[in-house]
Amino acid sequence: MGVPESITLDSVTPGMELGPVVFGPFTREDFVRYAEASGDDNPIHQDDEYARLQGAPSVFAMGMLPAGYLAHAASDWFGGPTHVQRFKVRFTTRTWPGDEIVCTGKVEEIADGVIKVRLEARRRGPGPDGLDLDEEQIALTGEADIVLPE
Amino acid sequence: MAEALAEDEIRFDLPIDRAKVQEFALAVGEDNPVCLDVDAARAAGLPDIVAPPTFTVTQIFVVGRDERERRLGANLDYGRVLHGEQEFHYERLPFAGEVLKGVMRISKDFTKEGKRGGSMRFVTYESVFTDVQGEIVLTAYYTLIETSKDVG
Repeated sequence: MGVPESITLDSVTPGMELGPVVFGPFTREDFVRYAEASGDDNPIHQDDEYARLQGAPSVFAMGMLPAGYLAHAASDWFGGPTHVQRFKVRFTTRTWPGDEIVCTGKVEEIADGVIKVRLEARRRGPGPDGLDLDEEQIALTGEADIVLPE
Repeated sequence: MAEALAEDEIRFDLPIDRAKVQEFALAVGEDNPVCLDVDAARAAGLPDIVAPPTFTVTQIFVVGRDERERRLGANLDYGRVLHGEQEFHYERLPFAGEVLKGVMRISKDFTKEGKRGGSMRFVTYESVFTDVQGEIVLTAYYTLIETSKDVG
């Protein structure tokens, strides 16, 4: 996405829909790269055999990886990361190799110059063999408060 | 032998290393130049590249699970624990080159009965990060959920 377009408070209205921005599909290399970057070296995200011993059909993503995508999407909709005043995510379901992460947002309200945004990241893909997942599921729900410069 | 008393808080340093910020940005698809390119950040009026919004979650691996458990004493059974929620409140984003001072404590610990029997315990670790001037930069809330059966 690169440099986001500039946006002004006047152009933001309640009910405004944002996205979708689509990341992925996830590869195992994405999990390895995030592990190295974040320090989260839990083998359940990198080693299929270990994941199976823990009862999962394969490795799956660290929750903070799609959360990072969602934060990035939200930042870009509003001119960059420095405009984000609050970011919150709740993890709903795991995300798997082969999943695309579909990020959307909706402006809930604007209060005292703070733009309140509801966020969602869905996983979209076949999921791992043996789980019979729906093709598309909500993986994360979130909220962001955005303050644009004067 | 008596068990050691839990501490109220853990103090730790979180260095914001430029190469680590760039590496983290690339890992989460953050391609905004203010997170990657020093010249672009300075042109935008920032002293250096800024850490992406979720960067400070790396604190979880600076003060690892075992140390956190031993010192703050939440007594969680990690075979049944999920990362449930994550929240950040920013005064500003951290800049590469600074070392944030973190203070972590348990800010919430409660149990909720589930709809289909079983209960869930929510434990939130709050970390307040300040800069060298002692100003708050951001506060992070890391919430774990302990379920009443094995999560697998």
